Amino acid sequence: MVSMRKIVVPGTVVSDHRLSMDNTYVDGTRTVSAVVGLFDDSRNEVIPLEGFWKPRSGDIVVGVVEAAGRNGTYKVVLTEFVNGLIIQDKYDREHYMPGDIIEAKVRDIEHKVLAVLEEPRRLEGGTLMNVKAVKVPRLIGKANTMIKQIMDLTKCSMVVGRNGLVWMKGQGVAEATEAVLRIEHEAHTSGLTERIKSMLEKGENRNT
Amino acid sequence: MGGSSLNKPELIIDGKRRDGRSFRDLRPIKIEASVLKNAEGSAYIEWGRNKILAAVYGPREATPKHMANPNKAIIKCRYQMAPFSSLEGHSRTGPNRRATEISKVIKEVFENVVMVNEFPGSEIDVFIEVLQGDGGTRAAGLTAASVAMANAGIRMKDLVYAVSAGRIGDHVAIDFDMIEDNYSDADMPVAVAPRNNDVLLLQMDGGFTKEQFAEAKELILEAGKTISEIQKDALKRVYDVKGASE
Repeated sequence: MVSMRKIVVPGTVVSDHRLSMDNTYVDGTRTVSAVVGLFDDSRNEVIPLEGFWKPRSGDIVVGVVEAAGRNGTYKVVLTEFVNGLIIQDKYDREHYMPGDIIEAKVRDIEHKVLAVLEEPRRLEGGTLMNVKAVKVPRLIGKANTMIKQIMDLTKCSMVVGRNGLVWMKGQGVAEATEAVLRIEHEAHTSGLTERIKSMLEKGENRNT
Repeated sequence: MGGSSLNKPELIIDGKRRDGRSFRDLRPIKIEASVLKNAEGSAYIEWGRNKILAAVYGPREATPKHMANPNKAIIKCRYQMAPFSSLEGHSRTGPNRRATEISKVIKEVFENVVMVNEFPGSEIDVFIEVLQGDGGTRAAGLTAASVAMANAGIRMKDLVYAVSAGRIGDHVAIDFDMIEDNYSDADMPVAVAPRNNDVLLLQMDGGFTKEQFAEAKELILEAGKTISEIQKDALKRVYDVKGASE
């Protein structure tokens, strides 16, 4: 997998044609980057290095219940400016308390900043950590490779929300946190899965 | 323009400026991005003897609530000179007339480049703290804030830079320091979006003839190429982590 990647900044022209890409905008006949990111010319995409989560339907998110509304609705904090809303069926309701951590899937987005959630699931106990939302795809990895590896090696159960909240529980929480922080820091480099693997395996030997 | 004409120093000595620069030379500029851990984006700039920190927070929920715009993000900007930043006149806390004005014009620059429609109902805060000032702080502050904005991951159409041009007698020169600023005949800070050379801010103190204005514009656009490169370089350097490979 050898492809040319270069760092782009807002205002860098990435193509002389009109292309529909995330994190870019079209100006006249050209496509221009709107973020600091890596431009991959073989796949024609700009991978942001910094940025915020924009809700999309189908995203798995982790959030904290903030308040109960009427008729079984709950307000969930997802990020600083995106809130989630749990709407439940009349006959089949789950009760949540403010402070409960939940995992859910985004169904619809209203006014760009309100995500209507479905299939909520309470996450009991555990710890919550924040990562940059742009690093989440790297943390999950291709076909979940990275996150599975961390879960296997640290014997933690983890849920990674696209909004940048990571929930984890289990005996190796400290190691898992360390691995997540390292991925966040080195997300734009290659060969990271291997490095994380060796890092966690070394840690295992130390413990035994 | 603020200095008394009685004790005006020589601004041009042997065809050069007081600090040995030619009329086209910028002061040395150094930018470092991502210097503050708690801010979403930040930058530190040293532009000649100016030392300025810029930090960006947000997008976050707009407060007070009635200020929020349901269609777009609002941008708030605070430019402030630290009490110890210059020789006199900044010891009183709180914004003064000058800081309020500069905050306003910088805010309006960013309203034109940030894609505010992406975060309705939210606010983006820009803080510019001048630690040491030596003329041209609004230009330097804006240049740093632009880097901080990009570092925060806020979507922008362009990476704005700003620089001032001015006139000493009949000579048009770029990037005035404090003494030149105080005793020159005209001073004009300009902010430009470099991709299309759109002018986003232009303030003028004093006057130019048509020809002098054209010359000043040419100097600014030429200097802008250098400043833009320094800005891009600062952003790229953030990701040169050890073990990194392309």
